[in-house]
Amino acid sequence: MYFKLTEEQELIRDNMREFARTYVDPVAVEIDENSRYPEEVIKKLAEGGWMGMPFPTEFGGAGVDYLTYAIAVEELSRSCAATGFTMSVHTGLACGPIALFGNEEQKKKYLTPMAKGQHLGAFALTEPGAGTDVGSATSTAVLDGDEYVLNGVKTFTSNGPVANTYVTFAWTDKNDKRNGMTAFIVPRETPGLSVGEHFMKMGIRASQTSEMIFKDCRVPKENVLGKVGDGMKIAMNSFDHGRIGIAAQAVGIAQAALDESISYSKQRIQFGKPISKNQAIQWMIADMYTDITAGRFLYYYAAYLKDQGLPFSKEAAMAKVFCAEMCSKHASKAVQIHGGYGYCKGQKVERLMRDAKITEIYEGTSEAQRMVIAGNVLR
Amino acid sequence: MPNIVCCFKWVVDEAYIKPSSSGKIDLEWAEHKLSDYDRNAIEEAVRLQEAYGGSVTAVTVAPSDATKGIKDALSRGPEKAYFINDEELENLEPSQTSAMLAQVIGGQIDYDLIICGEGSSDLYAQQVGPRLAEKLGIPCIAFVKKLSIEGQRVIAQRKSDEGVEVVSAPLPALVTVLPDINNPRVPGLKDTLAASKKPVVEISLEDLGTEYPALITDKGLRAASLVRNCTRFGSSPEDLQAFVESIKKTGVIDRG
Repeated sequence: MYFKLTEEQELIRDNMREFARTYVDPVAVEIDENSRYPEEVIKKLAEGGWMGMPFPTEFGGAGVDYLTYAIAVEELSRSCAATGFTMSVHTGLACGPIALFGNEEQKKKYLTPMAKGQHLGAFALTEPGAGTDVGSATSTAVLDGDEYVLNGVKTFTSNGPVANTYVTFAWTDKNDKRNGMTAFIVPRETPGLSVGEHFMKMGIRASQTSEMIFKDCRVPKENVLGKVGDGMKIAMNSFDHGRIGIAAQAVGIAQAALDESISYSKQRIQFGKPISKNQAIQWMIADMYTDITAGRFLYYYAAYLKDQGLPFSKEAAMAKVFCAEMCSKHASKAVQIHGGYGYCKGQKVERLMRDAKITEIYEGTSEAQRMVIAGNVLR
Repeated sequence: MPNIVCCFKWVVDEAYIKPSSSGKIDLEWAEHKLSDYDRNAIEEAVRLQEAYGGSVTAVTVAPSDATKGIKDALSRGPEKAYFINDEELENLEPSQTSAMLAQVIGGQIDYDLIICGEGSSDLYAQQVGPRLAEKLGIPCIAFVKKLSIEGQRVIAQRKSDEGVEVVSAPLPALVTVLPDINNPRVPGLKDTLAASKKPVVEISLEDLGTEYPALITDKGLRAASLVRNCTRFGSSPEDLQAFVESIKKTGVIDRG
C-alpha cells in the first residue's frame, strides 16, 4: 500500500488550486451575494479541459481517472463550493450516466459537447413529492409513434436554468415500480420543456437551481438512455458516482474552514496572546485536521475502487455521509473560532457554514446514505 | 523563427517553510515548486513562440528526484526539456549551475535566445543568467519587463532606478526577466497530461565529464524571529558602543 498521489495527480491538483486562486477567488463573494451563475468561470474551466475530466478523449473528455477528477472538485470547492458543485453535478450526474449507459450515437451527439464544456448538463430526477423516495415520482412518458411524450414537474434541478442537456426520468410503466421508470436525454430547446421557479438558497448560491416543467414534451425514441425500464438502475448508479464528487466538495469546504481558522486564530489576540495558544482552539483545529484527513482518504478510497472496476456503492455512501457531516460540523466550528466576525458577511467562514449544510442533503441525504450502508452491511 | 531556451529552477515552496517552536526549520516534508520568476521566463518564451514561431526548450539543473518539476515546466508550453541531474547535485553555487547550463546549451542546443528569471525564489542571487551569458560569450540584458524580436535583434525594455531603458542586442542573446513582464497562464488539464509525453533529454554528471562538488555547506537552518527589547539608543559614541554590546549580548552577532 502506498499513500501517495502520482506526480501527475499532484500537478493537476496544484493547477486546479492555481486556477481557483486566479479565476474563482476574485468572484466568489460576489457570485454568492448575487446568486449569479459564473458563466465566465465555467467557460475558463471548459477551456482548461476541466468539464469532462473522467471521460474518454474520443468523446471530448480528458481521460483521467475518477480519483483525479474528485481531487480537482475538492480544490475548486475550497475556493467556491457552488462552482465546485456546478462542475461536479455536470460531470457526475449529467455526463456520467450518458458515458455509462449511452450508445455511440448519444455519446457523440450529447456527451462530446458536454465533456468539452460547450454544453452544461443537469440531472432532473427529484419531484415535489419524490425526494429520497424516488419511486413516488409521478412524471410519465407515453410512447406516441416515434416519440415519447413527457409530462411532469421536476424540482431542485441543479444547473436547471443554465443547462443545455438534461438527463431526466419518467414512468413508462407506472405499475412496475422496479422496471417501469425510464431515463431520457432531453436537449434544452425541446418544445414543452421550460424552466419553472428559481430557488433562492441558503448556500451554494451561485449554483442555479430551479423547477423543470415537462408539458407534452416530445422526445424522440432514440433519446432513451439505456433500455426502456432502466431508469431506476441508472438513477441509483449515477448517485453512486455523484456522491464521490459531493464527498470531495465537502472536504474542500472543510479544508477552507481549516485554512481560515488557522490563519485567524494565529493573528487574533485575546488576553495578550493569539487565541491559537488556547487549548480549546487547538483541539478544534486538531479535530478538524483529523476529520478532513479521514474524509479525504474515504473519498480517495471510493474513487480508487471505482477506478479499479470494483463495487464502490457502499464506500461512496460512507465517504459522502462522513465528509458531509464533518464538513457541516467544522464549518460551524470555524465560525465559532472567528466569533462575532465569523457571523458577519465579509468573513469566508460565514459563507462556508451556509455552503456546508447542503452536502448533508443533496445527492442523497445523510439518512439515505446510512440506508445504503446498512443495506450493504446487513445483507 | 527563433529557437528559444528557457531555464528554470525547482525550489522549495515557501508556503511549506514553517519553523518549529524551537526555531528550527524542517524541509523534509516541504513541497517543491517552479521558481516564481522562472514561470515568467517560460511564459515569455511561449508567448514569443506564439508570435514568431520557432521552438521553446526548457533546461534545468536539479537533483534526480525533480521529475515533477520537469512535468510542471513542460505543462506550461515548452516542447522539450533538458534535465541535467544527479543525486549529488545539492547546494550548488551559481557559478556551477551556470557552467553546467553553458556546457549543455552551448554544446547540444541550437539557440537564438535564452530567457532566465531575474533570480530564483530561494536564493535570489541573480547570478545564473549573467554568468551563463558570459560563459557562452553572448550579450545579456537584465531587468527586462517587455520583450520583442525584430529580425536578428532582440528589443527589450529594462527597468532601472531612473526609469525604463529600451535596448537591443543581436541574437543570440540572453535576457533575464522581471515578474512585470507577463502573467503566466494556468496550465489546463490537457497541458499537464501532454507534458508527460514530451521528450526529456537526461544528462548526468558523467555525461558532462566534470565534477561539481558542493561548495556551500548547510551549517543549520533557523527561522528569523523578531524580538523587541524596547531599548533606545542615540547617536553618541557611548550609545553606539552600548548598541554593539547589546547585540553581542543577545547573540545577533558573533562574540568573536
